Amino acid sequence: MILKNNLKEVRQKKSLTQEELASNVGVSRQTIISIERYRYKPTLELAMKISKQLNIRIENLFYFEE
Amino acid sequence: MSLSKKEISILIEIIYSIVFALIFLPYFYENQEKTLILMDGLIQKIFQIIICSVIYFSITYSILEVAFKKKENLDERDDLINSKSYKLGYLLYEFSLFIIIGYICSKLQNKELLNLTGNQELYNSFELTDGGIVFSILVLLALISIIKSLYQFYLYRTV
Repeated sequence: MILKNNLKEVRQKKSLTQEELASNVGVSRQTIISIERYRYKPTLELAMKISKQLNIRIENLFYFEE
Repeated sequence: MSLSKKEISILIEIIYSIVFALIFLPYFYENQEKTLILMDGLIQKIFQIIICSVIYFSITYSILEVAFKKKENLDERDDLINSKSYKLGYLLYEFSLFIIIGYICSKLQNKELLNLTGNQELYNSFELTDGGIVFSILVLLALISIIKSLYQFYLYRTV
């Protein structure tokens, strides 16, 4: 199972740049890029911060793919 | 290839380790047969190393701060990368210390065996000096530092 996410699509829908989202959740832009490319799996704390910031349920943002 | 501030600071460390190895290690290589007390200009060399390091890091980091004005805070991804690379560095340090201790012990043992043969020339070639130990430790430190920083750089590019 691979942990994937809809971060890029959701972020773009909310008209937020990577830089803005990164600054709002207190990480670097590089971290947001890595999460969007599935290179980096965020901690539960960061995942919840991002979902709260994007106003979306965490399970709709992060999901497992078989 | 665009590089972030953190990646450039890792490259600065790698360059420093290579420059250190090229400029200062030959001195310790030439003097590895001597004991530390008999090394010519050891104190001056240590001061040179300290002064050169301070100047190098002050200049490079000042340029870096000017080039990248925005302050970059460490986040959980940095913590993960740092912990992975420092773990590798720590394991290599442990392993190399083990090798050095083994090398010293085997050399001392071989020396005792050669003493029994009565071959004085061969016996003297197995002389273990603290200059030699210092040189081996410095080579290992430089190598491990380069490997650790390269791995850290690789992680920043791939994670």
